[in-house]
Amino acid sequence: MNYEINMHLNEIAVIRLYGELDHHATEKIRTHISKTILQGNLNTIIWNLERLNFMDSSGIGLILGRMRELNTVNGQTIILNPSNTMKKIFQFSGLASFMMTGTEADAILHARGIVNG
Amino acid sequence: MDNEMTLSFVAVSDNESLARVAITSFVAQLDPTIDELSEFKTIVSEAVSNAIIHGYDEDGKGIVTVHAVRDGDLVSVAVKDNGKGIFDVKKAMEPLFTSKAEMERSGMGFTIMESFADDLQVESEPNVGTVVTFTKKFYSVKMPQIS
Repeated sequence: MNYEINMHLNEIAVIRLYGELDHHATEKIRTHISKTILQGNLNTIIWNLERLNFMDSSGIGLILGRMRELNTVNGQTIILNPSNTMKKIFQFSGLASFMMTGTEADAILHARGIVNG
Repeated sequence: MDNEMTLSFVAVSDNESLARVAITSFVAQLDPTIDELSEFKTIVSEAVSNAIIHGYDEDGKGIVTVHAVRDGDLVSVAVKDNGKGIFDVKKAMEPLFTSKAEMERSGMGFTIMESFADDLQVESEPNVGTVVTFTKKFYSVKMPQIS
């Protein structure tokens, strides 16, 4: 399990997840992700799952947890490029409307459109 | 019965990936599709994580056993622990119910398992343990037979 966080304009965090996201992995990365994204004037998290090979319900916990943290600033979440199995997991969990397919640039434009529009 | 395996390990979270790797190899001979395989791995991962986190509170001592049987394109798996058990199985299986919200457990584990498995049963007794049993049929990509 590995991840990268890129900040755009201090407002948008793009988190790329690699490998396998399970309970073991989320326990290791949650605090660090949380600390990193809570700096700056964050209002959007884009989770890029394109290179994530596996995710179970621990991923739902991780994403929902960060959504709660974003609630205080009315922030938004975009789940980018989940696999077919992940799409089903997000649907069961009521997160279907946050999914999007496209590039990170598309997602950033989409996010800024909502924020500024 | 065409094949059978048993894997036992202590209740530490590192072993969640061990269980997935073993079970992936076990079904490899069925040539599963990417989606079939990832759904199958997800069910195992949920059941094993539950045993480690809820059954044993990650004590590193309790033993989790994954037993799998393949019969044609049907695979049956039992994930067993001798941990603290589930006091109310019906409640535990409700979507979004979790006893460990502080750990950001989503409460979606059983819903996901039930959705991805063809048949799923949970037997549990307080202070005795829990067994999650499920089957999944693999339709796979069937190559035409060369005669």
